[in-house]
Amino acid sequence: MVILAGCDTTPPATNSTTTTTTAPSGDSGDKKLGRPATTGAGNTVTGDTIPIGVVASSTGDQAPWGLDCVKGAQLAVDAANAAGGVNGKQIKLIPADDASKEEQGKSATEKLVDEDKVVAILGEVASGITLQMGPVCQDKGVPDVAVGATKTTLTDLGNVMFRVCYTDDLQGPVMANFAYKELKLKNVGVITDKKLPYSTGLSDAFKATFQHLGGTIVGEEFYEKGQTNFSGILTDLKSKNPQGVFASGYFTEVGPLVRQAAEAGLKIPFFGGDGWDSKEILKTGGDAILGDFFCNHYNNNDPRPEVQEFLKAWKAKNGDVPGTTMGALGYDAAAIVIDALKKSKTLSSLDLRDALDNEENFHGVSGDITLKGNNGNPPKRAVVVKLTPQGQVFAKGYEASEVTK
Amino acid sequence: MIDAFPHLLAGLDFRILPEQIMNGLFVGAIYALIALGYTMVYGVLRLINFAHGEVYMLGAYVALFVSYNLGFGPNGHATTSSVANLFLMLVICMVVCALIGVIIERFAYRPMRNASRTSALITAIGVSLFLQYCGMLFLPISPPPSIDEKVNPFRGTKVVTLIPAPAAFNEKIGQMQPLADKADKAYADYMTAHTGADEFNLPPEGQALKDAKQTADGGVLDAQNAANSKSVSVNIRYGDLIILCTSIVLMLLLTYLVMFTKRGRAMRAVSHDFDSAALMGINVNHIITFTFVLGSSLAGAGAMMQATFKGTAITTLFGVLPGVKAFVAAVLGGIGNIPGAVLGGLLMGVAETMVTWAGYSRWSDAVAFVILIGVLLLRPGGLLGSDKVEKV
Repeated sequence: MVILAGCDTTPPATNSTTTTTTAPSGDSGDKKLGRPATTGAGNTVTGDTIPIGVVASSTGDQAPWGLDCVKGAQLAVDAANAAGGVNGKQIKLIPADDASKEEQGKSATEKLVDEDKVVAILGEVASGITLQMGPVCQDKGVPDVAVGATKTTLTDLGNVMFRVCYTDDLQGPVMANFAYKELKLKNVGVITDKKLPYSTGLSDAFKATFQHLGGTIVGEEFYEKGQTNFSGILTDLKSKNPQGVFASGYFTEVGPLVRQAAEAGLKIPFFGGDGWDSKEILKTGGDAILGDFFCNHYNNNDPRPEVQEFLKAWKAKNGDVPGTTMGALGYDAAAIVIDALKKSKTLSSLDLRDALDNEENFHGVSGDITLKGNNGNPPKRAVVVKLTPQGQVFAKGYEASEVTK
Repeated sequence: MIDAFPHLLAGLDFRILPEQIMNGLFVGAIYALIALGYTMVYGVLRLINFAHGEVYMLGAYVALFVSYNLGFGPNGHATTSSVANLFLMLVICMVVCALIGVIIERFAYRPMRNASRTSALITAIGVSLFLQYCGMLFLPISPPPSIDEKVNPFRGTKVVTLIPAPAAFNEKIGQMQPLADKADKAYADYMTAHTGADEFNLPPEGQALKDAKQTADGGVLDAQNAANSKSVSVNIRYGDLIILCTSIVLMLLLTYLVMFTKRGRAMRAVSHDFDSAALMGINVNHIITFTFVLGSSLAGAGAMMQATFKGTAITTLFGVLPGVKAFVAAVLGGIGNIPGAVLGGLLMGVAETMVTWAGYSRWSDAVAFVILIGVLLLRPGGLLGSDKVEKV
């Protein structure tokens, strides 16, 4: 347990290096001419089925996302198989659990590539886990389509890395624009989960835009995933007189954080990124979190036909609606891979990678996805949602081009 | 070098020091409750019971299930609670945790009693991992459940003003508040009149009302902030106060049991010399069971209060970090020493919040381990522990 605790409390080396490299340089991803090309041999389909792997957290605290992601991907695979598969071959989705842990994400990826010989990998939802999976995929020449991993530098790992979600370079500025222009906040505090690469990157992106817009960051506090008592940082932040607080962590900590903030007399708006996306936040946050905002990938109330058809299919198979947006993103990740498989010259992972890199205007549930010329980072639409007792309610949508960075 | 100090001190805001010290004591009270379990078991068995953090974790789950049964479950509709509910949760948690502690001792540690200390220690680590990961198979972890805040009838905060802000500031708030209320009402009326209006895409007249509301509310907040900057006050959450008071009562009860009862005397005798105590006719097994009952029930009480009053999401790793910190607290106070564990726990809590207060919240968890290294280097026996050299 001592050894375990050591790992739990010291941020892994990747954390500190990635934190420093995430200088919020805005559109750095788009301007770079190319990413390191993979030298791996890749996998080729030999049998009657096409194996596609999905790395997700079926257990651990990120399971609400992981389970939705696998269900969503399975829906897309089922739909494609019902329509005859690809080149007459059926697609087989092979899920591998990473138990919400970075190192297990890496070993799950190795297992999928080496033993199951998958031609593509979907996942992960979390940036920290995807950062561990990326080098494996790059080394072996198997494309990885990240589902919800928003850390901007993620796709710089190599040319096998793609994603179907927006990056923190979008959602950080979206929340900064929203806070400054819509909520009319000038002085805000920031609370970061120092153990999550996602959270540190998102906070940096938010701070840069908010200051660029003319606002002031009055203070930044840190906690660590698993922390339960936030009174110290809240008292500290309160003394700096913020008008609002940007909390970039996950719902597991943000809920109690907002609840304890209200008790500490900090009755101001809190807002955050897609790490808030879970029904559970309404419970852990209690009454205090109602009326707060966060940035999300899409909303169930969206009238677009892709969304409504997806929800219908989901309801038929799983009942109810997806609890998190990872259901839709998991669906999109699987669907775009299947679409690329159809366009791929051969059923090998290297040709599939090239086909993915040429995907244009793919109509996904979470919006249109263009990977061509974007180095794996599709420009996406972001929505700001409000937490109400009924769940997430659409507040304001932002196209990637509308956001001041 | 000296020039650096003003910068270091510039981040210190002495107005919030009293509140931060209180925060530290509240955090420390929980650490102290857990540390007592480590220290008592070490006292009688010379064993670091690493599974203690997992007893704490299971206590949180027990509290969760009791709250479900009281009508605060995912589909429950209870809206009001009472002191009786809290008391029931506390007692059930303590009893079940005591039972879990006894079971762990009986089936994991007792067979290892005559094995080497290292084997026993590894057994303890094994039990800890077993409970963490087997728990994942049987306990709800996804999404991590939490106890409904409504189960606590004492929500809210008591503000104790030590130095009030000058009257002029409060007058200013008093002047601005009615204007803000008026603007709020005008906007609320507009929104009721125009059902379905998109609050982020309003027609000009609605936007004007919204702007007026935001300006007025912002003015009140600025005035309040200005007043706060001139006053010194301490916000005490009722939940924290309950944690501290309950901890004190439980610790007094423990002191009574250990110092003034026959069984407590036997426990101290076993702690002093295991073999001689057995020779004097003390049933060592009973005393060890008793020790686990006491230690585990305190962990159960701590877990119930943490999970109920803080809204923490519960997973099977709930006990890892608090367990390690409480262990450090026990070592700091002198492991095996009961008042030492309480002192160590409170000091740990205060040390953590002081680091945060100084503007280094990034390092607040590291302080536990810096303290551990410091204690081991400078005073291996701990603050109140005896420094005697052990015969091997």
